[in-house]
Amino acid sequence: MPEKISVRIDGEYVAAHQGQTILEVARANGKYIPTLCWLESITPVGACRLCIVEVSGVNRLLPACTTPAQDGMSVTTNSEKLQAYRRIALEFLFAERNHQCAVCVSNNHCELQAMAQRLGVNSVRFAYAYPRLPVDVSHERYVLDHNRCILCTRCVRVCAEVEGAHVWDISSRGIRSMVVCDMNKPWGESRNCTNCGKCVQVCPTGAMAEKGFAVEEMVKCDVKVTRLAARRGGRQ
Amino acid sequence: MATTAVQSALSLEEQAFADRVIAAHSGKPGALLGMLENLQEHHPHKYLSSEILEYVAEKTDTPLARIYSVVTFYALFNLEPQGEHTICICRGTACHTRGSRNLLQRLRLELGLPEESEDGADKLCVTTLDRRYSLRTVACFGQCALAPVVEVDHSIFGHMNEQALHRELEHLDQDGRKKA
Repeated sequence: MPEKISVRIDGEYVAAHQGQTILEVARANGKYIPTLCWLESITPVGACRLCIVEVSGVNRLLPACTTPAQDGMSVTTNSEKLQAYRRIALEFLFAERNHQCAVCVSNNHCELQAMAQRLGVNSVRFAYAYPRLPVDVSHERYVLDHNRCILCTRCVRVCAEVEGAHVWDISSRGIRSMVVCDMNKPWGESRNCTNCGKCVQVCPTGAMAEKGFAVEEMVKCDVKVTRLAARRGGRQ
Repeated sequence: MATTAVQSALSLEEQAFADRVIAAHSGKPGALLGMLENLQEHHPHKYLSSEILEYVAEKTDTPLARIYSVVTFYALFNLEPQGEHTICICRGTACHTRGSRNLLQRLRLELGLPEESEDGADKLCVTTLDRRYSLRTVACFGQCALAPVVEVDHSIFGHMNEQALHRELEHLDQDGRKKA
């Protein structure tokens, strides 16, 4: 049995287990922290930076999904400063790629879009990068549109951890990072892909979608995947 | 480690070398980096072919995507065959203010390499068609007092200008002709 610890979240004392992350403790106690890359029972990576929280005594913002809760820690999950930084993080996600909601299969079912509405991001103050990015339609059943990717690496982790195929990974770094299939092959030519579609179901945006769906029609269900992961024991 | 025979496009000799490298590194943390570095160094054109990467993936039970991710993350690894001589131009701030862009432009012209592409702000690595020269840019050599800095085949030249660079190229050309 892991050691019990006591953490203060937004002034409230709550009980937690050693090894739980701040996000897990907050969720268990009904506190909402916005996330995009986090998925239940899948290893957290801290890619989206929306779950940043203030920890007293630490003069920088920490991602709640990867920071383990410690005994006596005092965490603030919502403040004006946090809201401002979360908005900036979200604006950067929009500015980095070509997110055109009106023509997207996931319009109205998109976690990025929902998050923007929730956090009150209705305009982007930064110049759009407008990168020229390919769309991979080589797979028989699925499409990968790099224009809509936010590099949350959900697909990478789910494919590696739940399906065990590890078809996806991130190539290059910085602004040039891209989701890549096997050895930079078209998705349809991957020998490792099992066509299970887990990556599609967990993708928060319209970057991965099933073929045959028009605008606004792609409704995803990540719960099926996370439930499967949880039944197998979740993250170690 | 798997010892099963792997169907591979590599020659038996290359396979044997790769096996030795993999055996030497296996079990250590960060083994993949060391392996790939040795394999790249061993190749006459100093690069990692997709055949060798696939072979390593198979032998070490590493996902192909993982290997590709590592190889593209580190600037050290080349996926394209490299030229005989490598010329690195520093594009750091100090060198930039001392005219490293002109040096780069001049070299492109002299070696007949294509103009800078629109998104060419990042690292550059191009090789001439005859595989004589590879032209690279680098963020900083840490020798800013000597700006602009150019590295030609692992020796550093400070206070470079277009004439000096041209002379260096001629040297390399003459050496090449002597050997041939």
